[in-house]
Amino acid sequence: MEKKSVFKKFVYSQKVAPYVFVLPFVLTFLIFFAYPVGSTFVMSFQKVAAENTAFVGLKNYKTLLNPIFYKALKNSALYMVLSCAIMIPVPMVLAAMLNNKNMRCKGFFRSAMFVPALTSVVVAGVVFRMMFGELDGSFANQVISLFGKDPIIWLRKPVTVWIVFLLLCMWRWTGVNMMYYLSGLQQIPGDLYESADIDGATGWQKMRYITLPLLKPTTVYVLTISIFAGMAMFSESFLLFNGSTNPNNVGTTVVVYLYRMGIEQNNYGLASAIGVILLIIVMIINVIQLAINGTFKKGE
Amino acid sequence: MKKKIVSILLCTAMVASMAVGCGGSGDSGSSDGGSDAKTEDDAGGGDDAAADDGSTVGKNTFVDGGTEMALWTFQELHVGFYTELADKWNEANPDKAINLTVTTGESRTMQSKMLMACQSNGEGAPDICDIEIGNYASFVAGDYLLPLNDVVEPYKDDIVMSRVEMYGDGDNWYGIDFHLGASVTYYNMDVMNEAEVDPASIVTWDDYVEAGKVVLEKTGKPMCAVETSDYFLPQLMMLEKDAQYVDEDGNPNINTKEHAEVIEYIRDMIELGICEIAPGGGVHTEEWYGHLNSGDVASISMPLWYMGRFTDYCPDLKGKMAIYEVPVWNEGDTREVLQGGTGTSVLKYSENADLAKEFLAFAKLSEDGNKYEWNILGFDPIRTSLWEDPEITENADNKFLSYFQTNPFDILKKNGTDLTAPNISGGYAATAAVLFSTTYANAFELDTETPAEELLEMEQASIVYDNE
Amino acid sequence: MDMKKKSTVQSVLLFVFYLIVIIITLLPLALLAVSSLRPGSELMRNGLNFNLDWAAANLNNYKLLFSGQNSYFVWYKNSLVITVVQLVLALFLSACVGYAFAMYEFRFKNLLFMCVLLVMMVPTEIILLPLYKLTIGMGLSDSIWGIILPYMVVPMLIFFFRQYLSGIPKDFLDAARVDGCTEYGIFFRIMIPLMKPSFAAMGIYQGMQSWNNFLWPMIVVRSADKVTLPVGLQSLMSPYGNNYDILIAGACFAIIPILILFICFQSYFIEGMTAGGVKG
Repeated sequence: MEKKSVFKKFVYSQKVAPYVFVLPFVLTFLIFFAYPVGSTFVMSFQKVAAENTAFVGLKNYKTLLNPIFYKALKNSALYMVLSCAIMIPVPMVLAAMLNNKNMRCKGFFRSAMFVPALTSVVVAGVVFRMMFGELDGSFANQVISLFGKDPIIWLRKPVTVWIVFLLLCMWRWTGVNMMYYLSGLQQIPGDLYESADIDGATGWQKMRYITLPLLKPTTVYVLTISIFAGMAMFSESFLLFNGSTNPNNVGTTVVVYLYRMGIEQNNYGLASAIGVILLIIVMIINVIQLAINGTFKKGE
Repeated sequence: MKKKIVSILLCTAMVASMAVGCGGSGDSGSSDGGSDAKTEDDAGGGDDAAADDGSTVGKNTFVDGGTEMALWTFQELHVGFYTELADKWNEANPDKAINLTVTTGESRTMQSKMLMACQSNGEGAPDICDIEIGNYASFVAGDYLLPLNDVVEPYKDDIVMSRVEMYGDGDNWYGIDFHLGASVTYYNMDVMNEAEVDPASIVTWDDYVEAGKVVLEKTGKPMCAVETSDYFLPQLMMLEKDAQYVDEDGNPNINTKEHAEVIEYIRDMIELGICEIAPGGGVHTEEWYGHLNSGDVASISMPLWYMGRFTDYCPDLKGKMAIYEVPVWNEGDTREVLQGGTGTSVLKYSENADLAKEFLAFAKLSEDGNKYEWNILGFDPIRTSLWEDPEITENADNKFLSYFQTNPFDILKKNGTDLTAPNISGGYAATAAVLFSTTYANAFELDTETPAEELLEMEQASIVYDNE
Repeated sequence: MDMKKKSTVQSVLLFVFYLIVIIITLLPLALLAVSSLRPGSELMRNGLNFNLDWAAANLNNYKLLFSGQNSYFVWYKNSLVITVVQLVLALFLSACVGYAFAMYEFRFKNLLFMCVLLVMMVPTEIILLPLYKLTIGMGLSDSIWGIILPYMVVPMLIFFFRQYLSGIPKDFLDAARVDGCTEYGIFFRIMIPLMKPSFAAMGIYQGMQSWNNFLWPMIVVRSADKVTLPVGLQSLMSPYGNNYDILIAGACFAIIPILILFICFQSYFIEGMTAGGVKG
């Protein structure tokens, strides 16, 4: 009894309580994050097998110096850059239009734009895979035939695959990104524009000197999530190609390659090396981003 | 507001579970196979099956005192097969009765997951499992499977041994397949008749090309199709030259003279317009099935288990297709090779390994088992006695025999049992992954200018395989 | 042109432009809905398009879906169970953690918060394999706990709850302590009611994540009877058993409940799914 109450007192003390509250995080962090990250590092120097796992030095990293991995890196980087290049200006402009005081049916448009975000990537992938099927009767081919073009084998040619990737990305995320910008725009005080009007500023000047700078925090946030989502892209490719193999690796991203090597071919060492490289890339991007944001903040 | 959300969620949950209650849970697990059977998946690198009949777990009729046994498959249709055969086994061996539970796995990554289970010292591993051809070598390399030599021995003279030997490492055999997997050429007779070409007169690939020119000229349709995301046509041509994708030690070896010849040969056919790239990139895609069913291609060379794809996906071609022997390089060559497959094995973690092995051999190699495989699943029997059994070979009610104009057993009988099978050892999976993603896409569609030898040199270099 | 006229023209132009954007946006889903009324074999032959013969349109695919001849509702149930369990756990545990970060001063607080940010930054795909090995080692592979446990405490939610609670004055706590509330009593009796609005938004955020999660469940689950809806739908597209009848109707039916919820609780959805951006 005595012991229990001491224990109770301890747990209930104001000093200890916060530790109890953060305990779930500490546990999951250690077990499901720190440990796996550590073991990724370790395995990347190993040949992993059931009975005789052995250290092989840098062998896995050397194996990664192959054209397919280069291509996967290139694809991930390209996807990241292109998706950022599209997914920032387009939603921004759409949000600005929706925020225009002459706009009607705002609520409806806002909700309708958001609907694609509700679908799972699987449903989206299934629909896009079939919309961009190579049959003459598939929707995409019907559309281009209106312009007198011959049917295209969308998912087996490099350029068209990327068009489909980006359309899929736009379809799913434009609504969400637009919503970020919309709330960003709504936080800009209206009197700023009024005083600009008094000063005789043009629409462009208002955009350049008021809207864009004040939307910067939103842009930074959208950029951040787009960068990480871009580097980690997997499901879209996996679903469009119905698996981890695709024609001439045109849609093989770093994570797809990691999946193919690790899960499908059971080469854990190599897959871990891919994971480590991806981790390093992400960390570098993080540092760069923090540095840029930091300096910007000082400047303001 | 939040309460509302919760209550709506709960309602949805209830509706859904009710729906499940009246439908899904009806344990249709046992042997229902029936008429709408679908053939199994086979091909080299791909996997899989659709969970469309709900029988994800199946049990045979349990017997008191029977030995508990677990089996994993990735194809629902195999559930009915195993449970029925378990009942037959119990009838014949009441003293060694088994209570078999067959579990169907989510297909796509089933194999890798099983391998993981084995790596964790058999944690949760079953007694028996189906393993796809492409993954076999990993299981053999890990030493997870038990040799089946002693239980196969009694059946040895009745079956095509190269089908069993391929799942081995020379001395031991570890797996038994569902079928023979003999490659044949399926001709669309509407097209062939319109072109006035008799498939029976085609013997060599050169004959096939000549016939293709006629077909193209008279009907405007291509003679055949080649895949960019699978390897059946090139592999067939290579096996006929006795060439393999991996060497005798299992090392990837795709940069060979024979392979280059095959690629150039197919490229020439494409150039002539008599060979097309299969719509969808492979002969297991929706685009291809639609194309095939519309009668837009004159022929396709695939193993006999592909019959099921015709019966399932090409209803319009019923009665119009005929099966003939595959073309060969030289007159006099054996006009049959083995392709595709799924081997079933006993894991070394099994507590009743001997019984599991005996049952496996019985299920896959006995006459009862082979009859089920042929009648329900449409698999060409590995057991030669069935080829001569008129009740099987001349059964007009059989949905496969009645679909095609010619009888596949004639081909099996003619070519006998000395057949070439693919070498699936060592780096076969890693090799196949490269073949499916880059090699054939480059060779036939994207990079058709680079000479085959040069292309194969680059492809060989990109295979990641570590045999140490 | 006077101002009024100009703004009317602008308004019409904006409206028309947006209408076109919306039509394009909703088009893929409309295609899906229309196609669910056609037999799968027709899709295979003609592709996914709007050529629907209304006379031949029927609900056969849905009948098949509800016939119990397939695993669809097993997947549905699995997804629902996982979503609900994960939702409740993640909300509660993340709220605890977020609360501690917002309301207490303790050693390692900043370090731990850095860890939260770190987890947010690192794509979980990187640790896929060791995490999977770990779940096997813990005997959790092929179970719903294997899917749920690693993602039980969600950094995004912690971050959000911390932001949300940081607006509440700390004197509040001291007052409660004076009244004799224990530390945990404060959390349960005072904070949780205060956090209600954020629970709704975060619940939707987390619910959507769990319901649509694909990669991790695909890796953890092995038995067909434990498959979740996205994984199951994807398996219908396997190269050896395309089953469009169920796939298309099933994909439609997977969206419908979410769509209904969305229509009822739009603002929560939008708030929840854009939670990270609200505070910039």
